[in-house]
Amino acid sequence: MRHTVFPVGSLVFTLLGVASLHANNSPSAIFDMQKRVAVTGTLSKIDWINPHIVLTMDAKGEGGKVDHWTFESNPPSWYRSVGLARADFAKALGQTISVEALPARDGSLFGYMRKITLPDRTTLELVTN
Amino acid sequence: MTHGCLRLFACAILIPGVALAQQASGTTARRAAATHPDLSGVWTYAIDRAPSALKKDVDGVVTIVKIDQSARYADTTSVPGVRPSTPKPSYKPELRAKVQDLFDHQSKTDPVFYCGRPGVPRIGPPRKIVQLSKETIFFYEDISGDPYRIIPTDGRPHRDRANPSHYGDSVGRWEGDVFVVDARNFVEDTWFGEDGYFHTDAMRVVERLWKVGDDLLWQATVEDPAVLTEPWTMPARLTKPSTDSLEESPKCVETDGGKLLNDDHHLQR
Repeated sequence: MRHTVFPVGSLVFTLLGVASLHANNSPSAIFDMQKRVAVTGTLSKIDWINPHIVLTMDAKGEGGKVDHWTFESNPPSWYRSVGLARADFAKALGQTISVEALPARDGSLFGYMRKITLPDRTTLELVTN
Repeated sequence: MTHGCLRLFACAILIPGVALAQQASGTTARRAAATHPDLSGVWTYAIDRAPSALKKDVDGVVTIVKIDQSARYADTTSVPGVRPSTPKPSYKPELRAKVQDLFDHQSKTDPVFYCGRPGVPRIGPPRKIVQLSKETIFFYEDISGDPYRIIPTDGRPHRDRANPSHYGDSVGRWEGDVFVVDARNFVEDTWFGEDGYFHTDAMRVVERLWKVGDDLLWQATVEDPAVLTEPWTMPARLTKPSTDSLEESPKCVETDGGKLLNDDHHLQR
């Protein structure tokens, strides 16, 4: 598989803020805060919606099949406040990106994106405020 | 040539009209400002926001953009005019277990988690205020949509046939330099604050807003004798002028609810 899962220190995600602008569910109820998954693939879709933006990625999986990963992240207004718009991600549609995320506890191909590397090597990462 | 003449004719007709409209608008704004402090403007968010910052690396140049949460959490107790507040409302003893249960299961019970409207006062101070001579308009940005409130200030009473709503029926008045908004006639399906603060349709909310230098102070008091032992005055929030213009909020599509594996939740506004 073209993705790796690795453990991280709990402090990282204790400090990592993943609350939404107004409200959303706790990330620890859905995502494993002690692990991080790294996936490389093709950005296939961007949903610029509340309460989380959602990126969809096609990555090469086991046996040559294509895995369809979904990553959610902070809400659109948060991205607007830090100077990013949908267009900053849209320019990578159809191109190869890498994402580091908190993996879903249920083992599905779903995660909370905390870092993305765009085709021009620009990295965007959620860190402690 | 003919089109040019038509355009010229149209301009001759329209430009004075536009100028008059602008003049009238300016006159209205000045009249409002001359009588009372002018609260008009765009104001920073004063609600809980995602507490993360952005670290951006472009060609090895690293920048970090932080989120300003001071309007939500700054200590305002020493600001002149701020009323004494408590961090939590006082519910009737027989209702406290219900509040605790809602809080314990907040990830599944809080309507706002599922794109519900926060209502008043949970939505916090307005993001934009347009103050006119006979009414003041509050604009908000919210994941559930972008509500507005038209608040009459000409002395008219509450509407007696208004339907209950999430943001209530409001009237405004001035007490010196303080703009006081009295809202009532709410639906019951909102929480007036985090932690399971349910209410009845008897809820009344009084918001007080005034200028502190260039900043805007907002403080709300919730009354609901059906559930509270006494009115709850919330800690005040001091929001700042903003150059970030309002933008239509994208639609809200909550899909995480079915993926919750426990009752974990975090601090909300």
